Amino acid sequence: MRKFLLFLFAFVLLASVAYASPVKLVVVGDAGHNLKPFEWYAKDLKEKFDVELEVIGVPFGELYEKEKVELIAGTGAFDIMIVFPKFLAEFAANGWLYPLDEFVAKLDPKLDDVTPGYRDFYCKYGGKLYALPYDGDVLSLYYRKDLLENEEERKAFKEKYGYDLKVPETWDEYLDVAEFFTRKAGEKLAGEVLQRDFYGTAYYGQKDQIFAWWGNIFASLGGVYFDEETMEPAINSEAGVKALEIMKEIHKYCPPDVLAYGYEELKDVFLNGDCFMVIQWPCVGKKGADPAQSKIVGKIGVSHVPGVKKDGEIYYRAMMPCGRVLAIAAQSKDPWKAYQVIHYLSVVTSLDDVSTPETGLDPYRYSHFAHPEAYEMFANVEDAKIYLAGVQKNMEKGYPEMVLPGTVEYEETLGVALTKALTGELDPKSALDEAAQAWRDILERFGKEQQKALYQELVKGWKAVGLW
Amino acid sequence: MRRRDGVTVAVFVGIFVLLAVALAPFAWNVLTSFKDKGEYFTYPPVFVPSSFGLEHYVRGLHLGGAKGIKDSFIIASLTTLLAIALGSLAAYSLSRFRIGGDNFAFWILSVRMMPPIASVLPLFLFFRFLRWLDTYQALIFTYALVNIPFAVWMMKGFFDELPVELEEAALIDGCGRLGAFVRVALPLVAPGLVATALFCFMFSWNEFLFALILGRSRVVPITVNIAGLIGGHEILWAEISAVSIVASVPIIVLAILLQRYLVRGLTLGAVKG
Amino acid sequence: MGGLRKRDWWMVFLFVLPVVVILLAISIFPMVYSFYLSLCKWDIGMGGQRTFIGAGNYLRLFSDARFFNSLKNTGRVLLFGVGTQFALGLSLALLLNRSFRGRSLVVTLFLLPMMISPVVVGCIWKIIYHYQYGPLNYLLNLLGIRSVNWLGSGSISPYSIVLADIWEWTPFMVITLLAGLQAIPDDLYEAARVDGANRWQIFSGVVFPLLRPVVIIAILIRVMDAFKIFDLVVLLTMGGPGQASESVAFYNYLTGFKYFSMGYASAMSYVQLAVIVAIANVFLRSFKGRAVV
Repeated sequence: MRKFLLFLFAFVLLASVAYASPVKLVVVGDAGHNLKPFEWYAKDLKEKFDVELEVIGVPFGELYEKEKVELIAGTGAFDIMIVFPKFLAEFAANGWLYPLDEFVAKLDPKLDDVTPGYRDFYCKYGGKLYALPYDGDVLSLYYRKDLLENEEERKAFKEKYGYDLKVPETWDEYLDVAEFFTRKAGEKLAGEVLQRDFYGTAYYGQKDQIFAWWGNIFASLGGVYFDEETMEPAINSEAGVKALEIMKEIHKYCPPDVLAYGYEELKDVFLNGDCFMVIQWPCVGKKGADPAQSKIVGKIGVSHVPGVKKDGEIYYRAMMPCGRVLAIAAQSKDPWKAYQVIHYLSVVTSLDDVSTPETGLDPYRYSHFAHPEAYEMFANVEDAKIYLAGVQKNMEKGYPEMVLPGTVEYEETLGVALTKALTGELDPKSALDEAAQAWRDILERFGKEQQKALYQELVKGWKAVGLW
Repeated sequence: MRRRDGVTVAVFVGIFVLLAVALAPFAWNVLTSFKDKGEYFTYPPVFVPSSFGLEHYVRGLHLGGAKGIKDSFIIASLTTLLAIALGSLAAYSLSRFRIGGDNFAFWILSVRMMPPIASVLPLFLFFRFLRWLDTYQALIFTYALVNIPFAVWMMKGFFDELPVELEEAALIDGCGRLGAFVRVALPLVAPGLVATALFCFMFSWNEFLFALILGRSRVVPITVNIAGLIGGHEILWAEISAVSIVASVPIIVLAILLQRYLVRGLTLGAVKG
Repeated sequence: MGGLRKRDWWMVFLFVLPVVVILLAISIFPMVYSFYLSLCKWDIGMGGQRTFIGAGNYLRLFSDARFFNSLKNTGRVLLFGVGTQFALGLSLALLLNRSFRGRSLVVTLFLLPMMISPVVVGCIWKIIYHYQYGPLNYLLNLLGIRSVNWLGSGSISPYSIVLADIWEWTPFMVITLLAGLQAIPDDLYEAARVDGANRWQIFSGVVFPLLRPVVIIAILIRVMDAFKIFDLVVLLTMGGPGQASESVAFYNYLTGFKYFSMGYASAMSYVQLAVIVAIANVFLRSFKGRAVV
């Protein structure tokens, strides 16, 4: 009898200790300022949900492989993972993520408030919810509104092209404006003599994401990735070739080293005042307002990416490369607690997180766009309004990356082909045919039927939102 | 006499020029560590930063740089000691006794030839099985795979360079093989030993891929930490430079300490007596 | 050379055994596992099913134009990179092989490029090579030379990588060759000079033959490591523009860790291994260096 009581006592003691100590969850994400929210709210999360977080930062360029290796080996090391949406399908297809639908009923993530791009394409897979949005990346058109409003330039433009200088809304206008503003050192710009060459525009030239800049054009011309019935790659369709030809034209008005351009170079060439317009991520707008980083503070206008005139309306689509969503590992020790944490960050504190200059997180909810006053990095509310209005326009017409297993390979082989056309090694049609063949090979290796089923799921979602 | 001076001057000029070229990028690195946002990529390039404050150093070390240096130091030191100790012993045998012939020696070298990419996943699984993930020993032994063959072959080269007569003389004097090794051969190859140790240390200090995959949160070597400063939308160039400079201090100190053995006076050959 | 006396065997055995044990223990599983993988199709993207396909991956490699392109790029690094490093390194080592005040400091300074993490070397050179805002083009412009498209031109970017590699690794050659030069006894120089040999004769007749084992090792190690060139490619060009500067290790990494076709990546690694083994073999056989004197 005594032994039993002793045992009972020990058990109760242990149980109470286990019950009392907070659950420890491991968060993994790309190292740097985007992990800061997890630190800021550590205390709140502990009080509200009795949760302690261990935050592991992994280099941005290697986040995917680090997460993947641990998941493949099933180490169960991570609970909450920051995932780039293009990998969501892959992780979910392998059963590594915990489906969140059961939690949605208990704690509403307010998905209706999220712009369609992220809500429908970047958080769901096979109809199920697997992640909550964290960082809304979308491409927007940034331009020098001071040069646009300059009287001299306006006159010269009207003379040359026959219409008033305005924010380009179609790709033809984009080309005209780019050509007009490409000047050599010694020529004049807005009344001043240029010390250095000035370029009309620039784009992201590195092969990992160059597809997105082509994608803006491609999507606006009605292009699709695959034919959904036959799974024939449709990137070398007429729309694809035309898009690449337009891109070749654009290339003429870009800096000579544009093919080496990654995020940094693209941002610098614009913020240093060396080019007229770029299509870029939202952070450029925010950084543009910081005098320490930008030589053109207060001179930045934001608009939707150019498109194609159809039936009196401008049909445009803005690609959403990169981005971040919060997912929960299938092996997590406490999925419900983990969900509460990611819900807190994606719903409760998200406005603070996307409007502060301390992180690189970008808006993705309608409520984010409705509060320009919260964005501290802008000198005044007006600038913030211009910025948000422009980004929102693009978010509403967000065109997704193709979220399938193998996405990286598809995107990169396409990128290589695009580069070959831009350097002149191949003509656009041949380059895209080469890419299409590469895509066929990838499809075969991954299993055509499986990919087809997944792709058709994606298309269903896209059609439901009126995307195509 | 005069001709001698001319040559000497030319030599010094040559050294100076090459040194300037070798150090220029390094100087740029130092300058970058003091620059603020907006000074990294601008025209004209900023040769003199606006301020020489140490805030980037502090921030870099705070962002895991200090831990990174500590972890890397532990791993690099231990794996170097392991490689040097075991490697030079084996090298001596290979050099003097031709154990296993060329094939054995080649096998040792071939272990190092395997592209690391192929070994990453298997080693991850292997160390997981041993419950050694996110530990120092995992990396120490992984680097041993590269350092030991390197040490063996480097030291073999230096031992091969030594005329056997010196050890024979010692043996005749009644030294014993071990004594010959310790008292004659080893001191003579000391420059080589030091060079090898330095390289092993540097390799382990600068390795990235295994450090990334086999570490997690308890073991985060400096290379992973620095790579973490390369964010998706924000690259902390100044912090990268600052941390890398602080991280190279231990190696520089090591090199200076070992200078005595690395670059000996030309009276070395007089040991022959 | 002394013969092997019976009572030396223990020493020989003990000296070599630890090395063998450790190397075997750690390398055997990766070697076997990755070889097995190379015979499988394992695209972890979709459900992770591993299927045995024999030599399928190897066959696929031989028709992979991108692989041969990367081999070509890597070959360029080997030829131009290691070649220049050796020439420069030897010259420097010879220059430094004399006693002068401050020599220790100079040698340490020359070591610096090697001491910095490759990641950082990549970052520094990325800034230096920037077409618009980098100091290199700025200085060239001051000298009246047009800006060079270091990283944005497919024909130049591979050589930009080679240049950064030379900067980073010449110190290895310098130190190794210097250590080797240090071990050459002074009397030999004296004897040769007494015999009336001039500088060049001393070098080719005395110094170089003695230095040969060290030279072979230094070049061999560098060739093996240059074959694995990766960090610089990632940081400077990401193999770009397009595929112009992709190295074998870079393509292998992409295949294994971005595309996660582990089977194919393993096969690629084994082919690389075969190539390196072949090169090393040829090298060692044709320059068979023995201890002289």
